[in-house]
Amino acid sequence: MSQAVVSVNAGVLLPVLAPAVGAAAVLVADVAVQSLRRMHYAIALLSLAVGAVATVAGLGMVAGDARQTLCLPGGGQCMYAAGSVASALQLAALLAAAMTLLLSWPDDKEQAGGGTAVIVSLVLAATAGATAVAGARDLGSWLVSLELATLPTVALVALRGARSAISGAVALLTTALVSFGLLALAAALWFTATASGFLSPAAALAVVHDPVRRPILVLAVVVVVAGIGFKLSLVPFHAWTPEAYDGAPLPIAAFLAATSKIAALAALLVVIRAIAPMGAPVLTAIAIVAGLTMTLGNIMALRQDGVVRLLAWSTVAQAGWVVLPLAAVSTAAVHASAAYLLAYVLATLLAFAVVAALVQTRGAARARDLAQYRGLLRDHPVLASALALALLSLAGLPPGILGLVAKVAALRPVVASELWLLAVVAAVNAVLGVAVYLRWLRVVIASVDAPPQASQQASPQASQQAPSHAAPDSGSDAPVAARAVRAHPATLVAVGLSALALVLTSLSPQLVLGLLGP
Amino acid sequence: MVILLLAALAIPAVTGTALIVSGRGSTTSVERNANRLSLAASVATAALVVAAVVARPVVDQEWLPSLGVRWQFAVDGISAPLLILTAALSIAVVLHARSHPPQGGSPTTFYGCLQLVELGALATFFARDAVIFFIAFEIVLIPMWVLIARYGDSHDLAARADASGRFVLYTVLGSTLMLVGILALVQSAGTANLDALAAAHGAGLERHTQVIIAALLLVGLGIKIPVWPLHTWLPPAHTIAPTAGSVLLAAVLLKMGTYGVVRLVIAPLPAGFGALAPGFAIVGVVGILWGGLACLVENDLKRLIAYSSVAHMGFVVLGLSSGTTAGLQAALFANVAHGVVSALLFFLVGGLKERWGSADLATARAALREISPRLGLALVVGFAASLGLPGLVGFWGEFLAMYAAWSPAPDRPQSLLRVLAVVAVTGTALAAGYSLRVLRLIWSGDRTTPVHEDARGGEWSVLAVLVGAVLVLGVAPGLLFNSTIKDVAVITAEVSR
Repeated sequence: MSQAVVSVNAGVLLPVLAPAVGAAAVLVADVAVQSLRRMHYAIALLSLAVGAVATVAGLGMVAGDARQTLCLPGGGQCMYAAGSVASALQLAALLAAAMTLLLSWPDDKEQAGGGTAVIVSLVLAATAGATAVAGARDLGSWLVSLELATLPTVALVALRGARSAISGAVALLTTALVSFGLLALAAALWFTATASGFLSPAAALAVVHDPVRRPILVLAVVVVVAGIGFKLSLVPFHAWTPEAYDGAPLPIAAFLAATSKIAALAALLVVIRAIAPMGAPVLTAIAIVAGLTMTLGNIMALRQDGVVRLLAWSTVAQAGWVVLPLAAVSTAAVHASAAYLLAYVLATLLAFAVVAALVQTRGAARARDLAQYRGLLRDHPVLASALALALLSLAGLPPGILGLVAKVAALRPVVASELWLLAVVAAVNAVLGVAVYLRWLRVVIASVDAPPQASQQASPQASQQAPSHAAPDSGSDAPVAARAVRAHPATLVAVGLSALALVLTSLSPQLVLGLLGP
Repeated sequence: MVILLLAALAIPAVTGTALIVSGRGSTTSVERNANRLSLAASVATAALVVAAVVARPVVDQEWLPSLGVRWQFAVDGISAPLLILTAALSIAVVLHARSHPPQGGSPTTFYGCLQLVELGALATFFARDAVIFFIAFEIVLIPMWVLIARYGDSHDLAARADASGRFVLYTVLGSTLMLVGILALVQSAGTANLDALAAAHGAGLERHTQVIIAALLLVGLGIKIPVWPLHTWLPPAHTIAPTAGSVLLAAVLLKMGTYGVVRLVIAPLPAGFGALAPGFAIVGVVGILWGGLACLVENDLKRLIAYSSVAHMGFVVLGLSSGTTAGLQAALFANVAHGVVSALLFFLVGGLKERWGSADLATARAALREISPRLGLALVVGFAASLGLPGLVGFWGEFLAMYAAWSPAPDRPQSLLRVLAVVAVTGTALAAGYSLRVLRLIWSGDRTTPVHEDARGGEWSVLAVLVGAVLVLGVAPGLLFNSTIKDVAVITAEVSR
């Protein structure tokens, strides 16, 4: 007992420690050598890589098995445990953060004025929060690491300083505060119900047959869903999403769409896993929220004319799909939800990477306007093909087989629990989703020489887009072609890597599913 | 042996992908080379498919252990005719495109999409795992969407966007509902293997569950078939699609729906299908009348043939619903017959539309028998088969379907099905009416202007082969009946028990 209070195994904690140490190292390096901006990125990528390698040991473990540390003495409970699902989510969070950094790689000409160290360390800090929350098993670290994953993103959104960025950051901050309040309440309720600070099945099981404490536990779970709902942008807590995505710099929007979502789902799964062995009844709340979220997200995405806003609403819709399997509480549902999230993150990152590359080659105004994607397949065949693959994966149609398999996985627990109505709602949303993504894809593959007045008749949306397309500069292709601006190599690397990953996982989705355990 | 089957899938997959990602030039030489490459690929695939049909290999490989999905492919008597039909028509559309090059976009993408449609259709008919069946079912969607949206009739872009969008959205709705049904079936039966599911004959599944699952699957597949009132995507899609798209859509894609009903509903869920069969038969017969009546007044020739497809598929639905061996045989025969006849008619009408500049029947044109006897002959044979003339391929399936409906399985409501059979006979009268109307309008007469070319080269050889198929299968229907009988008997023996 004279030993340390808890045992610490730094190796197991490495996925969390590496980005955290990296964040500190970047700040130190910035103080020491001010001129080397690229070094920050190198340090950051290195720490993310170390963290990613450290997660590998936990991948594919059988259910129930986990790498644990921070255990109480005497073989007691552990405050950190990373099984296969948590490790896979950590890996995804780290790789997504690395992708964000590639997308925001500094340009030679750009005078950022020392901002890079701040950006990089904030990204790393948020990533450390994301990996920590996936492994957190006690209320304290769960709550703190979830906030660590959230708060830096507020600063990241605001840093650009533009008016839209500030309003996005304010929306995000307000949401984060409300969400934190709810989660703190949920933690208190959990403790009241179970008298345990641990988010463990044992704690939950002790309460199952207690008629007084059980409702409190259920209430705690519902409040958790609400609190996480803000972060996952579930309806009705989604309103901040398009604001923040549109205001933020593009790489940060990608970060919000990927790593932040991973953190939020990881936090939710920690709680769901704790209550799963209770044989809890179907979580009607999640079923309703999932159905509403995907429907509203898709319908709003159908109405967007800006691609970042479209992607933001698509994130909302996809969040509905992510929590859809959780309506049936079970281990299989947890796996399905994580699998869907991984597929979504991969496809969304690719879409963002392509948009980022187009921002660099064609300018932000053109790259963010859906109508300006007309004929992209002819102008940039490679980028357009990558975008098509990403969109089809999100839509869940071959050749994006990963997305299709993810939909199969997500629907399985729903069908197994015989939630027919929810299954039909999901089927209708699959159609709406296809409409959303094909609306974009149709523009991409459209021929450029189509008569403009005909394209105006093509659909109500097209006629809305037409003025911005036709009016300002009918010869807009010419100056761009003359300038022949190339995308930054780092961005192209990001596009290439995520496209390669998506192709490989579409050929063999088991590469993704296998991460979550046999 | 296994390699035959896998190669038959790999060739269109690789060729299609390569064509799509390769150059985007649209010069004549690119077009020629793309055509040669896809012709070679389609011929090789067809040879491998025939070899696989003869050798009957079985593939069983693990793919997604986490979801329990396996690569399971095989051939049996029910899928063999459809496989051959798919492979043969894939050659035909490429040959036909020699004389009618694709308009509206890069030829490589066009041929690549054709290859991918072939891949999806072949994989669907080969699949023996229910989830693989679903994935294969989805593969055809995007290539077909591109064919319609990019290479379709460009006279009215709004209509084209509407038609392609409708096609893809309806089909996705159908296939997602089908996925829900498949997952429920796999979950409750404990296996995803279609043969094991068929062998179990719904044992261990409560009637209530069977009805729910069968309803989901029938609605999902009914969109694809398409069954009235879920058919509204079909006429615009056919009208707008390029000839190759129309042919593959009518002759191959619609077959995937009826094939799915046999594999996923009738075989594994006999009690569930039995409960829903009367309703299914009713919508089938409504489709027969609806399609026939629409054809009597329709003035767009392509749209007319699309409506006639709805009517023909109504006969297939009626046969399926009867629950007897004869009914199922009839449905499968009518399925293939419609594939051959609709392919012939769409090739023909696609060619005519190019010559005329539109497919409007109200415009006075030169009589086909006067100025283009080859096209005229093919048209007469096609519409004669369509109206169910004995001795041609269209006769057997529809005649037998009505016979089966008159004497259905014991657990089916006999009087209802007899009434439906009588109504279906009216449908054949309508078919005669609209077929003769078309022949009167464009085949007979003595106008000889404006002159247009007769079919030659690739077009004529494709038409001639299809006319030959219509005659051969009409005279010797046993070729097809003998292929399917054994596997059909396995299904129905248990259905009627």
